[in-house]
Amino acid sequence: MIGPPNSGKTTLFNRLTGLRQKVANYPGVTVEKHVGRVQLADESFVDLVDLPGVHGFSARTLDEKITRDVLEGRIPGLRTPDALVLTVDSTRLESQLMLVEPVLDLELPTLLVLNMVDELQERGGSVDDEVLEQRLGVEVVRTNARAGTGVEAVQAFLSRASMRETTEEKRSLTNVPRGVALPMMDAFTARRSRVRTVVEAARFVPPRESGPSERLDAICLHRFWGPLVFLAVVVLVFQSMFTWAVPLMDGVDFLISGSGEWIATTLPPSWFRSLLIDGVWAGVGSVVIFLPQILILFLFLGVLEDSGYMARAAVIADRMMFRVGLQGRAFLPLLSGYACAVPAILAARTIDDERDRIATIFVTPFMTCSARLPVYALLIAAFIPNEPFLGPFMNRRAAVLLGLYGLGIVAAVGTAFLLKRTLLRTKPGSFLMELPPYRIPSPRSLALRLLDRSKIFLRRAGRIIFTVSILLWVFTQFPRVDGGPPPIDDSALGRMGQVIEPVIEPLGFDWRIGMGLLTSLAAREVIVGTLGTIYGVEDTSDDSINLQAALQRDLTTGSAIGLLVFFVFALQCMSTVAVMRRETAGWKWPALQFGYMLALAYVGAFIAVRVF
Amino acid sequence: MDTIQQRTLPQTSADPVWTGLRLGDIPLRQTVELTLIDLPADEAEPLLERGVLPGCLICPVRSSPSGDPIVSVDGTLIALRRETAACLCVSLLTALQDVG
Repeated sequence: MIGPPNSGKTTLFNRLTGLRQKVANYPGVTVEKHVGRVQLADESFVDLVDLPGVHGFSARTLDEKITRDVLEGRIPGLRTPDALVLTVDSTRLESQLMLVEPVLDLELPTLLVLNMVDELQERGGSVDDEVLEQRLGVEVVRTNARAGTGVEAVQAFLSRASMRETTEEKRSLTNVPRGVALPMMDAFTARRSRVRTVVEAARFVPPRESGPSERLDAICLHRFWGPLVFLAVVVLVFQSMFTWAVPLMDGVDFLISGSGEWIATTLPPSWFRSLLIDGVWAGVGSVVIFLPQILILFLFLGVLEDSGYMARAAVIADRMMFRVGLQGRAFLPLLSGYACAVPAILAARTIDDERDRIATIFVTPFMTCSARLPVYALLIAAFIPNEPFLGPFMNRRAAVLLGLYGLGIVAAVGTAFLLKRTLLRTKPGSFLMELPPYRIPSPRSLALRLLDRSKIFLRRAGRIIFTVSILLWVFTQFPRVDGGPPPIDDSALGRMGQVIEPVIEPLGFDWRIGMGLLTSLAAREVIVGTLGTIYGVEDTSDDSINLQAALQRDLTTGSAIGLLVFFVFALQCMSTVAVMRRETAGWKWPALQFGYMLALAYVGAFIAVRVF
Repeated sequence: MDTIQQRTLPQTSADPVWTGLRLGDIPLRQTVELTLIDLPADEAEPLLERGVLPGCLICPVRSSPSGDPIVSVDGTLIALRRETAACLCVSLLTALQDVG
């Protein structure tokens, strides 16, 4: 499946496969490779690949390069397509058809899907698809992917295509001569005039302007109201994360501690009960609590993307970004970075300038991702008094949290500024952003996406944190003393911790925090699970452990703030390092990024401990 | 640097009236015809791919809060930087072909 961004390609893909994946009303958000199975009428299957939305095949952006490589059969392990489904937004037929011609040159069986026909007709437009079929020499169907109409026709095409003999012959997209202005210009002008001839023959009547979209833009892009709306949206996202999420988090907490207590009273005292409660429940439970907060953030990002507002936000942010040396398109990766750096780094693929893209993904991990939240929440609750600050509207805890978010932004901006003036210097490039009409997000695709995010988060909690929790618990149990577990300072874990203690001692951290930092290299939130396990094992009383009280005993307020600062700066996330390596095709950038952020974290914490 | 010149006359209709205007000078809601893209090839290509070529009709519909133009081309809204708009040479339409 190919098509320009915002043509509804991914929505149609979801309709056909039922497979969960990202759908958005933001140019170029489909950045990961998505493959799905379509069941045909005769019970057979075809594999459908949803390619990134592109405007052309010049391979200027990573998205274009990927699309091109797939179409030409140059991706190892993925066969050359046997047939193509080309989706276009029929309200903008003329500019969308610019993509058609190079695709037709592939000479594969192709279906042209005129999507959003309902919108075209509502706004008084029309087109004769029979003429289009004749002129272009491909099958044409009309769909409304959001409502699901016309999907059967696409399935019928897939059915017919699957019957054909397939050849594994190499294809190649005809390409306009690049870099050299005059031939490139001629090629595009020729393409454009052929498109115009086809569109005129098909008596395409363009739709009237969308009134509601127009009126919304009059506010959202207004000189005065626009930035206010922008600010309000950002504030709303954060406010809801920290207020609406609370009852939900209390609910999850109740379930986890309730089930933990039930196990504690049901099972007889044994090593197994200790493993289950002190290892698994304390470790995994302390992280799963944050699921509601993360889902709320992803819900907001989804609504913003699918509604079309995100493109407007990028336009508003462009000037600010421009001053730092980045561009407006960097806004989506940076905002997504508040949820998780991994999808954020992938979202940066739409940035066409390679140096801009690297600068953007280099600073993305400074944005306060959701994995930092458990750590911030724990330390703030333990060390910062819940008292008014600056009047009745904000208390001290919220102020500290806001300060930590702010510190991350300052680090990102400063680093981007530095990079763009040294290693990644470019001349100021251009910025081009298509503004799709505002559309109401489909609850179905939002729900699918949240389900997907929950799975990813729980799988992470399940795999990494579960494993780390069990390993840590085991290390606390040996060497055995009189057939029982040793005092924690003498355990294998305690001894390992004491080896690394000199390194972190200047920051006022003891070996327990040190082990937490070490395990958090896998993922930031693991430190909470680690401390949960260490203190859980250490605590011999039958009461459920109180992590906050234990931390208050072991850390001064200064060291606690030092630890917070460390988490603002350090790149403790294996997934980010792995995705950085893939996206920059080498170890150079991830290594530099890891070292730089670690150095900043150590120095930052060192200073914080002495100041507070 | 090599820039993109208009070589053939625009295919739309009557000859444009060349006035040396840039897109950035055009008031909102006035449709003009693009005559020349005065940008290096790599910066021009994204425009070309979206059908923003000499000969197309282009209309500034609004300006962003920071004063950058948002233009309509073939029913698609595209946000540009004013630096880019200053490199797009346009000409006014003659009275007969006013489609505004």
